[in-house]
Amino acid sequence: MAVEYNCILIRFGEIFLKGDNRKYFESLLIKNINDALKGIKYTFVRSQGRYYIEKYLPEDKDEIISRLTKVFGIHSVSPTVKVPTDIEELGKVAAEIAPKSGKFRVTVKRADKRLGMTSTEFAASIGGKLLKASGGKLKVDLFDYDFELFVDIRENGYSYLFYDKIMGAQGLPTGCSGNGMLLLSGGIDSPVAGYVMAKRGIRLFAIHFHSFPYTSELALQKVKDLAKKLTAYCGEIKLFVVPFTEIQYAIHDKCPEEFMITIMRRFMMRIAERIARANNCGAIITGESLGQVASQTMQSIIVTNSVVTLPVYRPLIGSDKSEIIDIANKIDTFEISIRPYEDCCTVFLPKNPVIKPKLSDAEEFESRLDVDALIEKAVAETAEEIITPGQE
Amino acid sequence: MIYFDNAATTRASETTVETVSEYLREKFYNPSSLYHEGIEAKRDLDKARSTILEKLRADGKVIFTGGGTESDNIALFGSKKHKNGRIIIGGAEHAAIYASAAELKQRGYDVVLAPVDSSGKVIAERFAELLTPEVTFVSVMHVNNETGAVNDVAALAESVKRVAPKAIFHSDGVQAFGKMKLNLRSTAIDLYSLSAHKLGAPKGLGALYIRSGVSVSPIVFGGGQEGGLRSSTENTAAIAAFRKAAEERYGDLDATRAAVSAIRARIIEVLGSIEEIKILSPENGSPYILTFSSRKVRGEVMQHALEREGVLIGTGSACSSNKASERIPEALGLKDKYRDGIVRLSFFKDNTLSEADEFAGKYLKVYKELSKYGS
Repeated sequence: MAVEYNCILIRFGEIFLKGDNRKYFESLLIKNINDALKGIKYTFVRSQGRYYIEKYLPEDKDEIISRLTKVFGIHSVSPTVKVPTDIEELGKVAAEIAPKSGKFRVTVKRADKRLGMTSTEFAASIGGKLLKASGGKLKVDLFDYDFELFVDIRENGYSYLFYDKIMGAQGLPTGCSGNGMLLLSGGIDSPVAGYVMAKRGIRLFAIHFHSFPYTSELALQKVKDLAKKLTAYCGEIKLFVVPFTEIQYAIHDKCPEEFMITIMRRFMMRIAERIARANNCGAIITGESLGQVASQTMQSIIVTNSVVTLPVYRPLIGSDKSEIIDIANKIDTFEISIRPYEDCCTVFLPKNPVIKPKLSDAEEFESRLDVDALIEKAVAETAEEIITPGQE
Repeated sequence: MIYFDNAATTRASETTVETVSEYLREKFYNPSSLYHEGIEAKRDLDKARSTILEKLRADGKVIFTGGGTESDNIALFGSKKHKNGRIIIGGAEHAAIYASAAELKQRGYDVVLAPVDSSGKVIAERFAELLTPEVTFVSVMHVNNETGAVNDVAALAESVKRVAPKAIFHSDGVQAFGKMKLNLRSTAIDLYSLSAHKLGAPKGLGALYIRSGVSVSPIVFGGGQEGGLRSSTENTAAIAAFRKAAEERYGDLDATRAAVSAIRARIIEVLGSIEEIKILSPENGSPYILTFSSRKVRGEVMQHALEREGVLIGTGSACSSNKASERIPEALGLKDKYRDGIVRLSFFKDNTLSEADEFAGKYLKVYKELSKYGS
């Protein structure tokens, strides 16, 4: 019978560095792991600074690995064979799981000191069995090797064998850095910005401005689908959908055409801050990248930023489009972002938006509007939806 | 809710729903099985074929397919054509024809588009100019799905056969069948495509009429069903429902045409009050379709705004950024903002005059709001 990978080893990275907070970070990470594995049967084991997923159905193994590698805070995972510690058995399993040719080394970690052999002796013995089984196709090289077979001998009478290491999402456990309100437009950049900040431990909330009937239900669905993709990494997201048409009408009626976007953005920031504060968010997150469009010039950002006091995190400010697209592809949001629906919102976009708006101009034009009342109404009519990971 | 998007698809009638249910629950047997129940199912298939042939008033055969698009594909790819010959298609054909013809062009055929007038109807004189003895295949839709314009396919087929007697003439009859009287026997039409869900039967079923003596090769291979032309176990439930629907549509054809004509006329009258609206459907077009365009309000925006009022309509152009949807407005010669402003209303037997009035009221209200902001 073929050997089964009956255990998945989880290594966590940066949280080691966090000193006194380690306990808090770990409890968050464990919760996030359990959340990510919802719907799957397994046992979570915590032992000597490592986590193990055990007692799952063999057919769930790949799904578990796929989900774990999206959990922030996990450095890497390894499918592992857990066997009773017995030198013959270890050699047999090692020969079965290891690649059949190439250069290798065996590294043994021995917590169980009662076994009468040193780690080096264990390694030599297992390595010898591997060499023999390969019929000469494997070669030992302790320094320049193609793969490293690890054998972890534990005090509980079991050993863990593995050689494959799958990189995780890294970063910090979601939630350990607090809450952030992501402006999620449906474009390529904003989901990437959300991902990048979630990686630093931020629990995401998202806000979307909807211009029905100028944007369609499909455009809104696109935003929900994007949020859904993000939940694979950062867990559930509360999405706020703000009706924005009336505000656009008001700006269109009272303000110069070229200031449409600038003033729209100022409304969006104000509303985002209102809802962010109500949800204990310590920051607003946007996908802005300097100079990408008229509303993302240095002057435009001064004008749109000036209406809020919460910090605004713009993790992509120095990124090129191609760099952003690389991440979008990695997190599988790109294909969703390029669905064409958002273009239907072009109705209010001016032909020549102002590139270097002046704060005093924006403030003067805005004084023609009842800003507070417009915001009050939009916030009151905002819809909320919890986007959860996994199947519907 | 008012549903004026029946050219997209229709609600099934009670009888067709019952028929589907009966065939799924009781008469579910495979028509290729050799026991009695299978043979009965096969008989029912053949009955449906003959009903459809009778409604087409045609001799020849009918094969069932996976939909109108598949029927069109079998016509274009499965019919006998001479190598690198000329293929003519109408200038405002459905994507099923347009995309298939584009593929044939890639494969070396001389594909040309017959110019259409501003209603989407093929211009007979311009069509005649394209005819040469090298013509090997022609496809012109019977009723244009975007505007309801009715092509005189009988006359066009005649003119083709005079110049190129061996050419195959196909017509996409998806928006015509069940909605107008047909008499294919008296024409030179060789192939004619149908779709079940446009007349109250289920989706996923089409049919292709093939005139006697016209040779067609399969494009799907397998168990040899449908005379080897469309392998795959037949969708007996949908086919039986299609038969019922065809009987129903032709049973009350005159009354339905009169009813939808009245609806259409009522709405045209109301739209007449708006200066910047152009009616695109021709007066003598199919009464089931009414298409118009405004240069002030985009079709999709109007669609969404009416949706909120409980009115579902179709649009010509799904989105201005979607290149594929610009083909038809361009063929119709629409300029500038009229290209994005297309709205298509399409009616069916259940629609009423009071719905037309309710629509008119809501349309005018929404139009007034939206046109203020332009597009």
